[in-house]
Amino acid sequence: MKRKIDIYLKKNIGKSATSSEYRKSILLEGEADSWSKIISAGKYAAKFGYKGVINKISLKGFSEDYISKPDFTDGKFNNYNTDVLIIGGGIIGCSIARELSKYNINILLIDKESDVAYHTSSRNDGMIHPGLVPKPGTKKAFYNVRGNYLWEKISEELDIELHRTGSVITYDKKFLNIIKPFLKMRADKNGVPIEFLNKDEVLKYEPFSSDDIVGGIRLPTAGIVSPYKATVAYAENAAVNGVVFGFNTFAEKINTVNGEIISVETNRGKILPKTVINAAGVYSDIIAQMAGDMFFSIHPRKGQIAILDKKYGNSLYSILSRPNLNFHSDTKGGGLVKTVEGNILVGPSAEEIPYREDYSTDYKTIISMISKHEKALNRINKNQIITYFSGIRAANYEEDFIIEKSDYIKNLIHAAGIQSPGIASAPAVSEEIEKLTVEVLSVYKEVKRKDKWINRRFSSPQPLKLSIKDRGNLILKNPDYGKIICRCEEISRGEIIDALKSPLEISDLDSVKRRTRTGMGRCQGGFCTPLVMQIISEFKNEPLNSVTKKGHTSFILGEKTKEFTGDDLNEKV
Amino acid sequence: MKKYDVIVVGGGPAGLAAAISSSENAKTLLIEREHRLGGILKQCIHDGFGIIKFGEKLSGPEYAEKYKDMVKEKNIDIITDSFITDIKKNDKTFSVTVVNSSGISQYETYSVVLATGCRERTAKQVFINGERPAGIYTAGTAQYFTNILGYLPGKDCVILGSGDIGLIMARRLTLEGANVKGVFEAKSEPSGLMRNIVQCLEDYDIPLELSTTVSRVFGKERVEAVETVRVDKNMNYIPGTEKVVKADTLILSVGLIPENEIAEKLGISTDIKTKGPFVDNSLMSVNVPGIFCCGNALHVNDLVDYVSESGETAGKNAALYKNTNRKLTKIIISDEFMYCVPQYINYETDEKNIIFYIRVKNNCNNVRIIIKNERDEIVYSRKYIIMRPPEMERLVINKELFKNTSFINISLENGDDNI
Ligand SMILES: Cc1cc2nc3c(=O)[nH]c(=O)nc-3n(C[C@H](O)[C@H](O)[C@H](O)COP(=O)(O)OP(=O)(O)OC[C@H]3O[C@@H](n4cnc5c(N)ncnc54)[C@H](O)[C@@H]3O)c2cc1C
Ligand SMILES: Cc1cc2nc3c(=O)[nH]c(=O)nc-3n(C[C@H](O)[C@H](O)[C@H](O)COP(=O)(O)OP(=O)(O)OC[C@H]3O[C@@H](n4cnc5c(N)ncnc54)[C@H](O)[C@@H]3O)c2cc1C
Repeated sequence: MKRKIDIYLKKNIGKSATSSEYRKSILLEGEADSWSKIISAGKYAAKFGYKGVINKISLKGFSEDYISKPDFTDGKFNNYNTDVLIIGGGIIGCSIARELSKYNINILLIDKESDVAYHTSSRNDGMIHPGLVPKPGTKKAFYNVRGNYLWEKISEELDIELHRTGSVITYDKKFLNIIKPFLKMRADKNGVPIEFLNKDEVLKYEPFSSDDIVGGIRLPTAGIVSPYKATVAYAENAAVNGVVFGFNTFAEKINTVNGEIISVETNRGKILPKTVINAAGVYSDIIAQMAGDMFFSIHPRKGQIAILDKKYGNSLYSILSRPNLNFHSDTKGGGLVKTVEGNILVGPSAEEIPYREDYSTDYKTIISMISKHEKALNRINKNQIITYFSGIRAANYEEDFIIEKSDYIKNLIHAAGIQSPGIASAPAVSEEIEKLTVEVLSVYKEVKRKDKWINRRFSSPQPLKLSIKDRGNLILKNPDYGKIICRCEEISRGEIIDALKSPLEISDLDSVKRRTRTGMGRCQGGFCTPLVMQIISEFKNEPLNSVTKKGHTSFILGEKTKEFTGDDLNEKV
Repeated sequence: MKKYDVIVVGGGPAGLAAAISSSENAKTLLIEREHRLGGILKQCIHDGFGIIKFGEKLSGPEYAEKYKDMVKEKNIDIITDSFITDIKKNDKTFSVTVVNSSGISQYETYSVVLATGCRERTAKQVFINGERPAGIYTAGTAQYFTNILGYLPGKDCVILGSGDIGLIMARRLTLEGANVKGVFEAKSEPSGLMRNIVQCLEDYDIPLELSTTVSRVFGKERVEAVETVRVDKNMNYIPGTEKVVKADTLILSVGLIPENEIAEKLGISTDIKTKGPFVDNSLMSVNVPGIFCCGNALHVNDLVDYVSESGETAGKNAALYKNTNRKLTKIIISDEFMYCVPQYINYETDEKNIIFYIRVKNNCNNVRIIIKNERDEIVYSRKYIIMRPPEMERLVINKELFKNTSFINISLENGDDNI
């Protein structure tokens, strides 16, 4: 096996490239002149049944990758004892924190950013996939289907919107009849309900679907959530149950003795955990390696997504796609998703890139996605775009989730390589990690369920979604709900204050935005940015120019103007 | 439910003028979502407002103050800090739902004047590639930061787009001690008024680079630099002309879009050229009678004096509004024009004259505007030495000239022709 890999490397990468078996995995080393060659080598090596591919082939001329992290140090967590330390505040880390908060144990969740859901968990489609796509027998298939099922209960307990709309995939060629048996078989194997539709039935579900099709399939269990609101909801429920959230806390070094983690060093001091859970997303391989358990590599896969103005939302009811049968197309997959707020999302793309946090977007990709998906729904066009963004999937070469106790480090558990469908799978992944953690921790202490665990969380009011009467009554109780701050999304001062008062301490513009949708509408914050900043500065009792866009040093304002004479002009918001 | 004859939505210069003229003949309510009246003028502390209307150079707040004083003298109900969440058409009236800190209220009215102003085109709508740091603002937001909050948006600024607000901000930021590295404009001609190019850029030695755009933003936390690139006539990047400009702030002045979400809710048809409703010379919507529109919600104006004028027209006609059948004469414009407001003429109104606001697409020298009736007879012509897209032309023409024609044609011809 290794021989074959070596031959491949010599031929495709160059003389310098070699492979070696490391524990149960295969380690690739050397230097290549293109990123795609490195990816191909990793994929090739993944075919031989090793536990993992550790791809350390470096890219010529590639300098150190940028990593967003706090720019200060303090001693907040120095010598901090905790039963469980969770590294990563995405949906995976937060859902694990919530499930573990049932027990009489101390839990600390750290994230290097100023809020939860800062990275991939706020940069995706929010689709609760039905589970047809993952290969039968993979962890992805199992956790996806189980997660999809569990979302029903979770969305109710956490009071978040789940739209179980189903998804429709249309075809224009007779093709469908040939692959029908194959699709049916896979659906049965994965345990996913499937319906075959003729053209009229497709148009019944999606009346504006392009009508040059012959039929389609429908996956009735597909659904949609707001991924960042879901992550916040998990985190808030965890916090209410005693989980401590350490934001702006960057795990830099992990110290082990005899195959056991004894401390984790951060910019805020040395944490002393009994067990550690690796939920670090695109950095999960780095965390594994820090702990001395190197066995896989993340190769970042970017996805760009365009958001259309809500005004045009009514041309779509659920989730619609029309697979491209031209395999040379550069934007594979993706489709159209109607978010719980009523916007249409177009995308995502899939691009292999060497950077883990490069959220740049480009015109060409955005436009090519619109042209591609226009074929499923003629009514969309590029003038309806209000904004676009990108996220990075934490793909490993095995293209499967890693949900297990470490083979080498006694008190380390991985929830790693959780690429798409990580949102859909989160409730099931956390259910499994809960079990594993209790097992591992039981070696150190007795783990018991708490007598009182609060499994319900209630969202703060969303006046826009209430009836006129209820909305009026709400305003009578608290007039702030009648003061509209964000005009495009109709968000009130009361909702912004609720977000600031929530169990997780937040203070930047993007954190408020993720919770309330301020600035997410068609004017993209042109009007409300200054107003939201004023509310934050007032609430925190800090100067206006200390408010940031997204934590760290992303300050919005510069210095005071020379001539400013007083607040006589100042709007009271 | 309280009843009015006219509800004016928006308390900027257009809405103030509309409320004043409407109140002469009708019970009028003015609704404004912000705390204070005056609209965007509140933050325009530079001068140059009111030269036509008042014959003097006022600042934005001074201009607004004059109108606010007039409003106070009239019998007009005003509610501020109030947001319209819904507006519905009934048989003969409209019901308007309003949210404010005392709750939800509903009003009934015979006619509505939309004076909701405009919003700015955003960075995303002009497709700039690259990262998502702090430090990218529209010119209006930067103006709010500077003039209302009293903070600079940053130190080293690059301005994209030569719209008037961008030009004015270039000067303002320079005066406040920021370093404006340049104004970049993708078109080959500046899009702001000539007087602003001279008074805001040339007087302060701020470079203006035409046929150049910003193609990329660099920086993770805060903007660190932008990449500029030259573009050809079709707006394609010219490879090899990229330059990196160090800056911590990118300000966009790339266009304004009339705010017409309320109009859309009512099913009002809008002109893709103006992005405002199709109206006749009373400034009433052509397909939803009883709805009037004025100011920047109707089309983007460069001078506030004309905004007030359109407000007056809309307010007066809204007060006199009776739901009778109209016979409309369509105004057809030739390709050289960007747009013309109104788009239709209703011959049966009180006015003696019809006011046309018209804009050309490109700079033209030595031309003549010609208006013909359905019989191809020239009913009006006027010569111009120069016409520029940023400068809207206003024509006041006797209504009698448009009698007995089902459409009129406005075209642009060579000014030398002897007619
Ligand atoms: C474009 C796109 C579309 C997608 N669409 C869908 C979809 O429709 N449905 C679906 O189910 N899934 C989708 N996914 C996948 C889904 O978004 C992810 O699987 C999921 O968000 C992963 O969550 P996570 O918690 O593992 O990672 P993340 O949300 O990235 O969280 C990891 C956290 O770890 C922190 N961290 C990392 N290193 C350190 C350190 N050293 N110290 C402290 N903190 C650290 C980071 O700051 C980060 O907050 C999509 C993904 C992309 C990119
Ligand atoms: C930044 C900027 C700088 C300018 N500089 C100059 C200049 O130097 N010289 C010059 O002559 N002209 C200038 N103009 C142009 C001129 O000032 C504007 O054309 C004029 O202010 C437009 O008036 P308006 O009443 O149509 O809109 P606005 O002034 O925008 O007023 C609209 C009002 O309606 C309110 N409103 C909107 N929707 C609702 C709703 N649903 N419910 C309740 N209230 C609502 C808004 O809050 C606002 O107060 C400038 C314009 C801008 C945007």
